[in-house]
Amino acid sequence: MVKDITIYTTNTCVYCVMVKKWLGSKNISYNEVNLDVNPERAQEPVDLTGQLAVPVTVVTKSDDSKEVIVGYNLAKLAPAVA
Amino acid sequence: MKKNDLIIIGAGPTALTAAIYTTREDIDTVLIEKGAIGGLIATTDWVDNYPGFVDGISGLDMADRFQKQAERFGAVIELDEVLGIEPIDELISVTTTSGERFAKAVLIATGSDYKKLGIPGEDTYYARGVHYCATCDGAFYRGKKLVVTGGGNSAVQEALFLTKFATHIDLLVRSTLKASDVLLHELEKNDKITVHLGVTTDEIIGDETRVHKVIGTDATTKKKVEFETDGIFVFIGLKPTAEFLRSTGIEFDSIGFIKTDENLRTKIKGVFAAGDVRSGATMQVASACGEGATAALRIREYLEGHSQQAA
Repeated sequence: MVKDITIYTTNTCVYCVMVKKWLGSKNISYNEVNLDVNPERAQEPVDLTGQLAVPVTVVTKSDDSKEVIVGYNLAKLAPAVA
Repeated sequence: MKKNDLIIIGAGPTALTAAIYTTREDIDTVLIEKGAIGGLIATTDWVDNYPGFVDGISGLDMADRFQKQAERFGAVIELDEVLGIEPIDELISVTTTSGERFAKAVLIATGSDYKKLGIPGEDTYYARGVHYCATCDGAFYRGKKLVVTGGGNSAVQEALFLTKFATHIDLLVRSTLKASDVLLHELEKNDKITVHLGVTTDEIIGDETRVHKVIGTDATTKKKVEFETDGIFVFIGLKPTAEFLRSTGIEFDSIGFIKTDENLRTKIKGVFAAGDVRSGATMQVASACGEGATAALRIREYLEGHSQQAA
């Protein structure tokens, strides 16, 4: 069971748009951290993934375990939010 | 059985233009896209050479407009991945990760993607200093140094975009700059970018977590040259997105682009190809749209014949 979803994005990243579109098409709500608006939080996705890339989607389950998905990767995103 | 008049594989400019035309003719059209709607153009910072946009338009905005226009006429875009196609009787079977579906005609409009360098360090530091999408990952390089490799329009356009973030960029160009004069003029004016002509990109060095250096070779002196950097963005040309169709009977050219006749027909009856994935394409968004329109008209003719046969 999913408790909440946070996506790290930037304004110009099309794959961030795609993750949001896909979640929207499934009527799944999410929180967004836009790194262009909040540059002071840019280290957070790097610490989570070790990568300098967005989108980073953090799926927190009801038991507070987290699943972190880098990029627009439906093969990982779909089961993570199921 | 899921069945449509037309399945378009891809949802870039070619695919969306074709869909605008076919849906306006009441041809039941589904687009299947595994990546970004808008394709490569959606990852492009700015498009200045598409008619009608006097001051240019961001690639992301252009992709959004194409999508909305196609959907206005009834095009359906499904976010899924096509694994293969196969002709069965008078239909084309399209296998996706969600299952099998059928169409009377298929348009392959999968476009192209940026090539890799194929050098040591490239895979090791993927997304940890090696990048192929400036609009996606550029924001992580605020106040840092970068290398951009490539000499065409994409390399220069994206290097200019990255100066919004980076303090300095070394642009490594294997031979000569091939970008448009407008971009070259912008490049000349930008004092954050140093152009290195005749320099290959040979190796990416780091400490297992981050990139620190790019090593190249000066073609004139044959000496190794080093560039201290926090990351490298690669724009060295395009490769077709068509590998998943290799075993279908479709004909490819020596590089891997799909061969068609003058009516954009492939070797499989009812399967058409258009846009950047087609052998001979000019890799421009305007011509991609033109090919999409042409493909739609040819598909309409094909479907008219298909209906008469069925009757």
